Amino acid sequence: MRLLTAVLRTIRHSRRLAIGLIILGVLILLALFSPLIAKAIGGGQDPIELAAYDRWLVPGPKHLLGTDQFGRDVFAMVVKALAVSLQIGAIAGVISTVVGVIVAFVAGYKGGWIDGILSTFTGILLVIPTFPLLIALSAYAKNVSLFQVGVMISIFSWPFAAKTIRSQVLSLRTRPYVDLARVGKARDIEIIVTELLPNLLPFIGVGFASSALGAIFGLVGLEIIGLGPGGVIDLGQIIFNAIGTGALTLGAWPMFVVPIGLLTLLFAALNMVNIGLEEVYNPRLRGVAGE
Amino acid sequence: MRADAPPVVAVDKSQDAASPSGVRAWLSRHPLAAYAIRRFGLYLVELWGALTIAFFFFRLMPGDPIQTLIQTLQQNYVYNAQASTELIARYKHEFGLDGNLLTQYFKYMEKLILHGDLGPSLINYPTPAQTVILRSLPWTIGLLGISAVLAWILGMIIGAIAGWRRGKLGSAIATNLSIALSHVPYFFVALILVYVFAYSMGLLPARSAYDSNINPGISLAFIGSVLKYGLLPGLSIVIIGTFSWILSTRMLMIPILGEDYLVYAEAKGLKGSRILTRYALRNCYLPQITAFGISLGFIFNGNVLVEQLFNYPGLGTTLVTAIQQLDFNTILGVTDIAIFSVLTAVLLLDLLLPLLDPRVKYWK
Repeated sequence: MRLLTAVLRTIRHSRRLAIGLIILGVLILLALFSPLIAKAIGGGQDPIELAAYDRWLVPGPKHLLGTDQFGRDVFAMVVKALAVSLQIGAIAGVISTVVGVIVAFVAGYKGGWIDGILSTFTGILLVIPTFPLLIALSAYAKNVSLFQVGVMISIFSWPFAAKTIRSQVLSLRTRPYVDLARVGKARDIEIIVTELLPNLLPFIGVGFASSALGAIFGLVGLEIIGLGPGGVIDLGQIIFNAIGTGALTLGAWPMFVVPIGLLTLLFAALNMVNIGLEEVYNPRLRGVAGE
Repeated sequence: MRADAPPVVAVDKSQDAASPSGVRAWLSRHPLAAYAIRRFGLYLVELWGALTIAFFFFRLMPGDPIQTLIQTLQQNYVYNAQASTELIARYKHEFGLDGNLLTQYFKYMEKLILHGDLGPSLINYPTPAQTVILRSLPWTIGLLGISAVLAWILGMIIGAIAGWRRGKLGSAIATNLSIALSHVPYFFVALILVYVFAYSMGLLPARSAYDSNINPGISLAFIGSVLKYGLLPGLSIVIIGTFSWILSTRMLMIPILGEDYLVYAEAKGLKGSRILTRYALRNCYLPQITAFGISLGFIFNGNVLVEQLFNYPGLGTTLVTAIQQLDFNTILGVTDIAIFSVLTAVLLLDLLLPLLDPRVKYWK
């Protein structure tokens, strides 16, 4: 309950954060209800089934966004694909945040040579261009599942989370209240969980949002090169289809405009949450937004 | 991958321990030199670590490139019979794939460091991978370099003005637009530009890097053609890049605006534009130079897709083709070059900044 009121207070302080969260909430709701929406559109049959309808239908009252080259309803496809894109963001976001938080706490709190090794290692991983490795990984790993792609993307995105959180741990661990807890003979793990972690939640949130952003873009990129996971349709794949089938020249613009629009909205919402959180918790940036 | 971490520090420590006390005394008297040496040592460690990780990453991946090569050759009727074991062994030797992983690693590093040799490219056998990469490098450097610098300059200017005139409508629009668009992939903008300018209006070409009817060379027609073909891919990088630089410049500008020396400058009756460029912006562009160096690596990531879309003959397209054909040496070479350029850029900036800005002190 205390947490909830704190969250509400934070949101009230930042209009940007609130707008970002609302857009994100709407998109998540859309994704959650995607099976129901698909059912409603299909009216008994699966609208994403091959040849469910005629091919290349133009947008109209029956098919809001028209149909694609296989006669699938584009609107139903987009809604389902949105769910997949959000899923990959959530999977990779959670994994890389958890790994990042652990590494950041071990490095930042312990310090010394452990910090040296871990920080050098994260630094090295940060300079390796991740996209080539990601393409390579999925090119060799044929028939990957969505979860596996999420894991692959997390391998390369946890260093970002670890780096941002570590610098915050470093600044927090010398604060008086942490020293006080240490004098009070609290164990390290207690200090981390009760003193440091709650104060770092916004930064962990920032790390999560960045990792999720990176993962969604990573999957879109893979799909566009034609290397995505099999059996699922995500927003990137619809864009890829639109390019590959010449939908651009056939006038089937929704296949290409709608996924790009949705993804842009998603990126914008996550970025607003990111910046909103940073503004709220970093007094130096307060007012930078210049509402 | 993780097993490679401990030696990283071992090397670091041995370097420290190896320095005799006479040198140490000299270093303590020359903090800048000590900093430069330390920084360079860290650079070598990072470079070595990143190259090693990349090497093992690609070697541990399943897939038999030699088999692929022989299949390709068979399809092209170079061999109509099954390839002999000797042939396979010879190719394995040529590509540095014989012996165990450690021997391969040492051989690869030796060739890379001593001779700058990346080994033969599989698709273009027997052309060495470095030749293939060098052929595509100018295109990427030209496209990326010009658009990245342009985005940086534009972003700095617009961001500074947006910070300066905060609260005004134009500033609010620029800021909110940047917040919404700064994380959008370059690729999306590229797609929209292609749709509008290439498909709908037919104004600009959307594939390749120059008109195939014009012979490459130093001629006005060729340069014009290169510019025309590079306009759309370049523009997509410039647009998104500018938005993210606007945001960060603005964030650096605003805390400065309240500083006393700006109030003093204003009290002296200096013109606003002069205060902005000479007083305020001066304190923003140095951190932004560092950020620019670091961003080069990420631009490369996004650029792969843009090049792929435009079929631009740069590193990104080379990379994707190489991956599709399991061309190990080329893939690794492209990755190595990206690692090298990012690390070197950051090193140079770290070494140059203390000279440019007396307030920058990395050493103790």
